[in-house]
Amino acid sequence: MLETVRYEGRRRLRGAAILTAGVGAYAGFIVWYFSVLEGVDYEDVFEDLPPAMVEAFGIENLSTIEGFLGAQVFNFVWLLGLGLYFAYVAGGTVARDIETERMDLLLSFPVTRSRLLVEKFAALLVPIIAVNALGGPIIYLFVLAVGETVPLDHLFLAHLLSVPFFLVCAGIGLVFSVAVDRAAIAERGAAGTVFLLYLVESVVGGADAYDWIQYLSPTQYYEPTPILIDGSYELIDSAVLLVALVGLIILSQALFERRDI
Amino acid sequence: MSGEPDHPLVVEDLTKDFGSVVANDAVSFAVNEGEVFGFLGPNGAGKSTTIRLLLGLLKPTSGTARVLGADIRDEAALTEAKRRIGYLPATLGFDEEATGEAVLDYHGAMKGERRREELLELFTPPIERPIREYSTGNKRMLGLVQAFMHDPDLVIMDEPTAGLDPLKQEAFNEFVRDERDRGTTVFFSSHVLSEVRRICDRVGILRAGSLVELENVEALLHRSGKRVRVHASDAAVTAITDLDGVVDPERFAAGVQFIYAGDVTALLRELATHDVRDVEIGEPPIEDVFAHYYGSEEGDRRAREGDQRAEEGDGRTETGEGSGGSAEEGDGAGATNA
Repeated sequence: MLETVRYEGRRRLRGAAILTAGVGAYAGFIVWYFSVLEGVDYEDVFEDLPPAMVEAFGIENLSTIEGFLGAQVFNFVWLLGLGLYFAYVAGGTVARDIETERMDLLLSFPVTRSRLLVEKFAALLVPIIAVNALGGPIIYLFVLAVGETVPLDHLFLAHLLSVPFFLVCAGIGLVFSVAVDRAAIAERGAAGTVFLLYLVESVVGGADAYDWIQYLSPTQYYEPTPILIDGSYELIDSAVLLVALVGLIILSQALFERRDI
Repeated sequence: MSGEPDHPLVVEDLTKDFGSVVANDAVSFAVNEGEVFGFLGPNGAGKSTTIRLLLGLLKPTSGTARVLGADIRDEAALTEAKRRIGYLPATLGFDEEATGEAVLDYHGAMKGERRREELLELFTPPIERPIREYSTGNKRMLGLVQAFMHDPDLVIMDEPTAGLDPLKQEAFNEFVRDERDRGTTVFFSSHVLSEVRRICDRVGILRAGSLVELENVEALLHRSGKRVRVHASDAAVTAITDLDGVVDPERFAAGVQFIYAGDVTALLRELATHDVRDVEIGEPPIEDVFAHYYGSEEGDRRAREGDQRAEEGDGRTETGEGSGGSAEEGDGAGATNA
């Protein structure tokens, strides 16, 4: 039971550590930079930006540490960077094993394809949880270190609610991974798709025509800046993400079940 | 467990059509319990396809097979049967970053590792090192350990000795014979006649996607002859190729190459009377065995397939289907047909 999760999870430990260290270092820089900027009316700089861009970058209230973190760390790193990263990594999960013929060995085990797939996917929780469970405290400590404070519950929620979002990005990667033969194509296809959906959401979100298109993008359902600033979030957003995740996993299983290796 | 207790492996009209090529065309055979079955065929004949079908990696286009009683189209039954199956793929795609030990731990957790230590005494991959540092032979040994470590009833191997040095290969041969004596059924593919000769009880020959012949190994080897390559003067070449048992001599600048199916002593005696600069005597390529000893029937088949290709409007003959799938062979077959 769960041997594959354990083995694959262990394989992801090193990557998770490097990822967390990188994200932590960036967050540290941003927090330090915020303390340097104090006194500068940073919001003036953004006043000239088009509203669509302000919207896309989640820029609100840059003069507070919450607003600054929301725009510079959560919107750039969590929403975009890590979303793309997990889609990319998930794109390689199955496709790379098929490419290197490792899948031949894995499928010689007494385990069904569906189960193997779900366990390999579940191992992605290692970096997803690591970057949140360690990244959160790191950010908090940096904020304290520069003499600022951020509401703990808001920060906690911003991290917690990112998990379903990352899983959906990874789910998109998983579909590519079982549908495509070559790992490089699955990885790029998955990250490209998430990025494209994000761009389309940003463009359509500001207009009325065809505004339903924005609901196709997972980035629509995770808005870290308002969570950080006033702790507001929609539970329905997370519910939509979880339903989408189940759908993506079922689709991947069906595709994986049918394909020749 | 349905029927056929004496046949761990039963293949019935197994067909796999990839669209561009029919890799297995109604292949049928059965492997008896406790025997070593050699699945012989030139490169590209479809051996790996059959093996991948048996393990459920590929889905058959039609026909089926039963592995330890489990229908390969029934995933649940086949998954259960895999507890008692060992598999050594042709390409060992181990996780390169992991150590051999970590990989064996994982394999052991998935399917059992009762015989792990015993096997590691026989095959000695450096399990404490990461697999990316392994030589081909070390990878192959690790592959053998994982294939047998759970004490399976049936072991399926795709080109198992590729990359093993001669000593390890000998150890492998002995090991497979011992396994058979313990009651394990072994099914393995090979394109090397000598490998099959030493350890197989029976042989099936896959050619152009279908099983051509099943026969006793000795009979096959008796008919296969030797490949001889002699570097000598023209006069000597003429005398040598006049010997009984010389088949299909092909001259090259410095000498001649032929298949020799006659008395070896007679050949050596003849060679000794000439000024021979160099001589090589070895296994005939398996393609030659087919070409020369399955003569007319094969010729007809080739001609038929040649026509088929022409009908398909494919002027080139490199698909090589009619000659076992290798590109060079395909050209040869095309020339023969023309």
